[in-house]
Amino acid sequence: MKSFNLGLDQETLICARCGYCQAVCPVYAALGWESTGPRGRIAIARQAAQGASLAAEHARRVYQCTLCGHCRAVCPTRIDTCDLWLDLRGHLTANGSLARWQVGKLYHNLISQHNITGDVPENRLLWQQNLETEIEGLNLQPGARVVYFLGCVAGLYPQTQGIPQALSQILAKAHVPFTTLGSAEECCGFPLLGMGLENAAADFARRNIARVREIGASILVAACPSCYHTWRDVYPRLLSEPVDLQIKHASEFLAELLTERRLNPQPQEMRVTYHDPCDLGRNSGIYDPPRQVLQTIPGLELVEMAENREHALCCGGGGNMEVADPDLVAAIARRRLAQALETGVSFLVTPCQQCKRTLANAARVERARLKVLDLNEFVWRAL
Amino acid sequence: MVLSAGRKEQKEIAVSQEPDLQFAELAATFGERYTESEFERAFYRRDLAAVPRWLERMLARTLPDAVARPRNAEEVAELVRYARAHYLPIVPRAAATTVYWNSVPTRGGLVVDLNGLRGLVSLDEERLTATVQSATRWGELEAALNRRGYATLAYPSSAPSATVGGWVSMEGHGIGSLKYGSLTQQLKRLRVVLPSGEILSATPESSPPLSWFVQAEGTLGIVTQVEMVIRAKPETVASHLLAFPNPTTLQRAVVALATVTPTPFNIHFSDAAHLRLLQNAGFALPTEKPIGLVTFDGSVSQVAAGTQTLKHIVASCDGETLDGSRANLEWVERFASLRVKRAGPTLLGAEMWLPLERLADYLAALARLANAQRALIATYGTVVAPKMAMVMSVFPSDESRVIGYVLDLSLTKKIYDVAFRYGGRPYGIGFWNAPYLRRAFAPQQAAERFARKRQLDPLNIMNPDKAYKTALLLSPVFFNLGMDTLARARRAWSVMR
Repeated sequence: MKSFNLGLDQETLICARCGYCQAVCPVYAALGWESTGPRGRIAIARQAAQGASLAAEHARRVYQCTLCGHCRAVCPTRIDTCDLWLDLRGHLTANGSLARWQVGKLYHNLISQHNITGDVPENRLLWQQNLETEIEGLNLQPGARVVYFLGCVAGLYPQTQGIPQALSQILAKAHVPFTTLGSAEECCGFPLLGMGLENAAADFARRNIARVREIGASILVAACPSCYHTWRDVYPRLLSEPVDLQIKHASEFLAELLTERRLNPQPQEMRVTYHDPCDLGRNSGIYDPPRQVLQTIPGLELVEMAENREHALCCGGGGNMEVADPDLVAAIARRRLAQALETGVSFLVTPCQQCKRTLANAARVERARLKVLDLNEFVWRAL
Repeated sequence: MVLSAGRKEQKEIAVSQEPDLQFAELAATFGERYTESEFERAFYRRDLAAVPRWLERMLARTLPDAVARPRNAEEVAELVRYARAHYLPIVPRAAATTVYWNSVPTRGGLVVDLNGLRGLVSLDEERLTATVQSATRWGELEAALNRRGYATLAYPSSAPSATVGGWVSMEGHGIGSLKYGSLTQQLKRLRVVLPSGEILSATPESSPPLSWFVQAEGTLGIVTQVEMVIRAKPETVASHLLAFPNPTTLQRAVVALATVTPTPFNIHFSDAAHLRLLQNAGFALPTEKPIGLVTFDGSVSQVAAGTQTLKHIVASCDGETLDGSRANLEWVERFASLRVKRAGPTLLGAEMWLPLERLADYLAALARLANAQRALIATYGTVVAPKMAMVMSVFPSDESRVIGYVLDLSLTKKIYDVAFRYGGRPYGIGFWNAPYLRRAFAPQQAAERFARKRQLDPLNIMNPDKAYKTALLLSPVFFNLGMDTLARARRAWSVMR
């Protein structure tokens, strides 16, 4: 669906205040005040467009957004709300340090270490230490056809390091000539965009693209939907030029490998449900490939949640909100977890490292009998 | 308690301003679901209407003193009893999707944000009824029923956000009403918190009966739960997009289609000006002629029979059937009528009941008005009964241009004048349509409504200033004089420009 963004001034006038957005907003569902939904945020944006100085309360509401895109999907006036929220964050940043105090540590980590955790770059290699089989050319291998871009979450969080371990072993098993950027990989830059810092994000984009070009790869595979969306849709806009690479999400790549029978999963007699990550589904339009991957596994029964695909509930993990308001992330994740539990399955599969973290944390806190796995991990178990 | 009101406003709210301790009681009871924060309260002073702030300040005190978010009828009753004990105006609000300030405070007071009352409570598969909490969105109700193999009988064109209770409080006519009748006919039971704080289980036989609360616009009580008739989910749906040479043939076709068997689930129509407005907004249709969108649902054979009948009528009215995929798209887009706002950025207009047999005359008169005022007045509507349609006539404006916008407001009144001439009446009164009260209700009907209000809400705490009386500045004498003068000025202004 075509969406528009003619700038804060015009779009905040065009907003009809119809509340379609509010009805689907995960933040509004969790907090309940009119100020916490997109309609409230548009009212704040209107004040910003009219030159009013925004207080800390306003900034808090602006950052209490996962950028899940559900509001954009239902907006009858077709406002590209996600774009508008980024503009609004940019406005906050340009008009003082308000934006940074809520996400200050994240900003510092990105500028100092070029990743979201503040780890030294060498820590991006830690996940490689306990691979089941040794893989040659894993880091910056010149001439590799495929570059696997890990993303900060998979590369640096212990809870999600099983994802790069699984995907790299899958690629090796399918004899895909691939490499990674190793310790030279930088954040894709999306968290900076989420702070309204387009120029800084563009610098990250240039450096990442240059490193991939040095390798000479023609395909970039990202298992993180946010990195994928950023590489595919945001980099060309930020740099005003196309990125001369085929950008694929890992689920698309896996679907191709399975179709070509380069991978042969073993039967898995189980019922699983699938969670659509916002940056892969609503924000990138990828719904079928991950489902195809699951349905290729013999014996597996896919049970959809009540709200799925473009209507899928958000897990709470996007938009820098884990830094801005972790309790809110947990509340949003609990709601999605409850919907997953209604299906009565034992496994929730999602092709996103951040969704895996938020939903697995929710399952742990709620002591739910549900195992949350990333799609790559799930496929690797089946091979 | 934080109040930002100026001296004049503070004087006006004397009736609602109670010692902090009283509000602290509510704070203690509702905890995080209660606020007196000025920041939060400011978000509750609007609905869809774009009202210049100076005009708003002149007429009302829209900033509530407090907002509470109850979770059930008992909590709503507690709030109402509190308001009654302290003579505090109380304003029920959920999605706030009207343009008449139905859920906007006019004297400050307490806003009861009902959005915590959401969800399907129970389903009676034998009696084919569903019981839902009142702030459930029609869209989410339909989806929940569809997953279980059922469907609602009718829903508003703003179903993604409009709530069940909200539609009960308005007239409850919309998509599906042609086939299944008004919402009143579909209601079995309402749970209502009366202005006394008592919780009433209202049925057609109760005293007061259920019908009192339909179209009461939240002035007689707060609806917290609704039991309604549902149906089996239709086997199939088919939409047909039709184009007609002129409004007369459009009317002829629509009048004929409204009475055929099988009855269409829905008939939507748009005049040529509406198509121009859609085009200006970036959503062009493949024709410039007046259109109808006719939808049949039910069994495959019923839909096929409907389609056959439709073909004969279209042919006899010189109509043509447009691309089927576009028809399906427009059916999907039935909730996106506000997309034309992109041609605004503001949209002004009038929503009314209109006899179908006067549609062409109404459109012709409107075209003359549009020509005289050099305005693009676009009309679309839904047939909600065999002889009646709900019609929306809108025109683009720009609220950021103060003089032009104020002049444009007068055009709304001129559109209503045209509608009255052809048997129309406003759909919904609220605060802003109060000047039309005498034209909207027959004297006896108005007297009955007053009597109900006096009986159930003698203290006038329940959503005051809505649906019964006009504010002094909006009294018909001032209003008509002012608006007609502005309309003349607008006409002169448009000629000069």
